[in-house]
Amino acid sequence: MSSVSCIELIAFLDAYVDDELDSETRGDFDRHLLVCPSCRAYLATYKETIDLARGAAEREEDLAHDAPPELIEAVLTSKSRRPKS
Amino acid sequence: MLADDGYLVERLRTGDDTAFEELVNHHAGPLLAVTRRILRNEEEARDAVQETFVAAFRGISAFQSESRVSTWLHRIAVNCALMKLRIRVRREADVDALLPHFRPDGHQDHSSVSWSESAEEILQREQSCALVRQCIDQLPEPYRVVLVLRDIEQLPADVVAEKLQITRDNLKVKLHRARQALRTLLDPHMRGAAL
Repeated sequence: MSSVSCIELIAFLDAYVDDELDSETRGDFDRHLLVCPSCRAYLATYKETIDLARGAAEREEDLAHDAPPELIEAVLTSKSRRPKS
Repeated sequence: MLADDGYLVERLRTGDDTAFEELVNHHAGPLLAVTRRILRNEEEARDAVQETFVAAFRGISAFQSESRVSTWLHRIAVNCALMKLRIRVRREADVDALLPHFRPDGHQDHSSVSWSESAEEILQREQSCALVRQCIDQLPEPYRVVLVLRDIEQLPADVVAEKLQITRDNLKVKLHRARQALRTLLDPHMRGAAL
């Protein structure tokens, strides 16, 4: 019988994912995950959420590689207006 | 510091205008993506990029030679964006509706199920990436910002806590809630996947 409930596991899931739990608590979490398919699915999709957020942002950065010409112009103009130090 | 970076920085320090143009042409696009992600406001994002280059130009003498120029500019851009964001982040926002709910016996109210594809497979499709970005934008502002700075920009916890003027513990709680809320928003789309 698992000594950890779903509510406890999910409340500290970030610490589990980031490997911040002591070995005894981590063992309790592992035992719960063995017998609870719902928490296993929650853990997998929680990790996937982090990967998706990061991956989707990287794709956005790849696509937006060129800045609008008017922004480039504005930056260069603002620099040329500045007195040289 | 990369060899190309070293040569560029040397030219910037001597006031070489073409070096500044190269810097702007090469880095403005990626930096605009960063400031857009943080601010979600085109005008403010462009202003932040402009301020980034002004600050970089002024601070070129303080540039640490062991850093990469892109990392240094990224840090300045995040700072410029956060200066514009600070007032918005201080507002509290309710995220409870997007957090998992539990029965009195501690079990999940609704059983979770795995998603049908891996993140890697989902990210192959631009349409799916756009959907993920839309879901991030739906997060309440303080949670969205924490997720962007920690999980996307990958800034250290201490740095983010200091920039947002919250405690490290509060940051940790906010990040966990942000991830859970985003997971809730993605869940109905990802169960069937192939978007």
